[in-house]
Amino acid sequence: MNKDAQMRAAINQKLIETGERERLKELLRAKLIECGWKDQLKAHCKEVIKEKGLDHVTVDDLVAEITSKGRALVPDSVKKELLQRIRTFLAQHASL
Amino acid sequence: MKMEEMSLSGLDNSKLEAIAQEIYTDLVEDSCLGFCFEVHRAVKCGYFFLDDTDPESMKDFEIVDQPGLDIFGQVFNQWKSKECVCPNCSRSIAASRFAPHLEKCLGMGRNSSRIANRRIANSNNMNKSESDQEDNDDINDNDWSYGSEKKAKKRKSDKNPNSPRRSKSLKHKNGELSNSDPFKYNSSSGISYEALGPEELRSLLTTQCGVISEHTKKMCTRSLRCPQHTDEQRRAVRVYFLGPSAILPEVESSLDNDSFDMTDSQSLISRLQWDGSSDLSPSDSGSSKTSENQGWGLGTNSSESRKTKKKKSHLSLVGTASSLGSNKKKKPKPPAPPTPSIYDDIN
Repeated sequence: MNKDAQMRAAINQKLIETGERERLKELLRAKLIECGWKDQLKAHCKEVIKEKGLDHVTVDDLVAEITSKGRALVPDSVKKELLQRIRTFLAQHASL
Repeated sequence: MKMEEMSLSGLDNSKLEAIAQEIYTDLVEDSCLGFCFEVHRAVKCGYFFLDDTDPESMKDFEIVDQPGLDIFGQVFNQWKSKECVCPNCSRSIAASRFAPHLEKCLGMGRNSSRIANRRIANSNNMNKSESDQEDNDDINDNDWSYGSEKKAKKRKSDKNPNSPRRSKSLKHKNGELSNSDPFKYNSSSGISYEALGPEELRSLLTTQCGVISEHTKKMCTRSLRCPQHTDEQRRAVRVYFLGPSAILPEVESSLDNDSFDMTDSQSLISRLQWDGSSDLSPSDSGSSKTSENQGWGLGTNSSESRKTKKKKSHLSLVGTASSLGSNKKKKPKPPAPPTPSIYDDIN
């Protein structure tokens, strides 16, 4: 298992070093806005906040509410494309 | 750790896939977290709910999706059928034509000053040959009414103001028409002959082509040499109006005598069949000959007879100067006996 962990760490390191991680992040953000994911999530937030009351909102509350929903709401096309790019990256750097 | 140990090729695909999924999940969670921070900051700073409006206003500006309306709920051709009342002349005008109408009606704007200048120039032209003051006033008054505006416009479009032809035809018209009722001159370039009396008709026919157009049933107001109509047509019109003994225009003008009749023309026809002889007697009136020529479409001859003194010198060149002298007592116009032959040759 150590090897796996090391493996993952190495891969992550590679991602960051080449700047691929940033690129992937930007790509994901743009795609999510395009498909309306952000608006959906915002509407959900509003409801949550109205329930809780404006003054009593904390970060933890929001995080707990939103991440689960957010992960579910990502459309399949976006997911597939991102995975594709990651695999390509891994394949490129396989020998490394 | 050495790089060689980290070789991914040793891993099987499922593990690769698992790694890819992990990376993906990390990325998504990053995005969500970023979003949460944004929202939290917006809530705490108080601008989170700013883009909301109350439900009533939301309903007002909802997107409209009905047939015949655009998304704002407006009808497409609404302003075409609407009519406005002009404050100047109190007529109801279509909305899309309202602005140009107002321009003309109030006499302001670029176009209306141009038209006014043109009209002044026209009335100056007409005034030169006009002696009748009353008619002058009538014509000037015409300028200010609506009908004559259109009249003036159409006349403008029919004839190029700069062409040399225009002045010629104007002179003819002004000499004759101003004495007749100017109101009968309508906007198409013709006269409706029903409204004219016989005297007016006659006077018109002496100066104008007069051929009745089939489409408009109006007489052509162009000159006697107008290229749109043949001499045969002109002759037919005159016969139609003035009877079978119709005197053709060149003969009919006051300068001509009235001794002409058809028998002369009969003899002339035979004579005009050119057989090479050049001693055609000029005693038979030259202008009557030209009337025959009209029947044959030799348009040039009619011009010969009409232009009185100028053509004399021309004819003398032809070689019958001697014969011209005898004709003077009869008519001031020079005869054109030899000219048909000349032109026959050319033709």
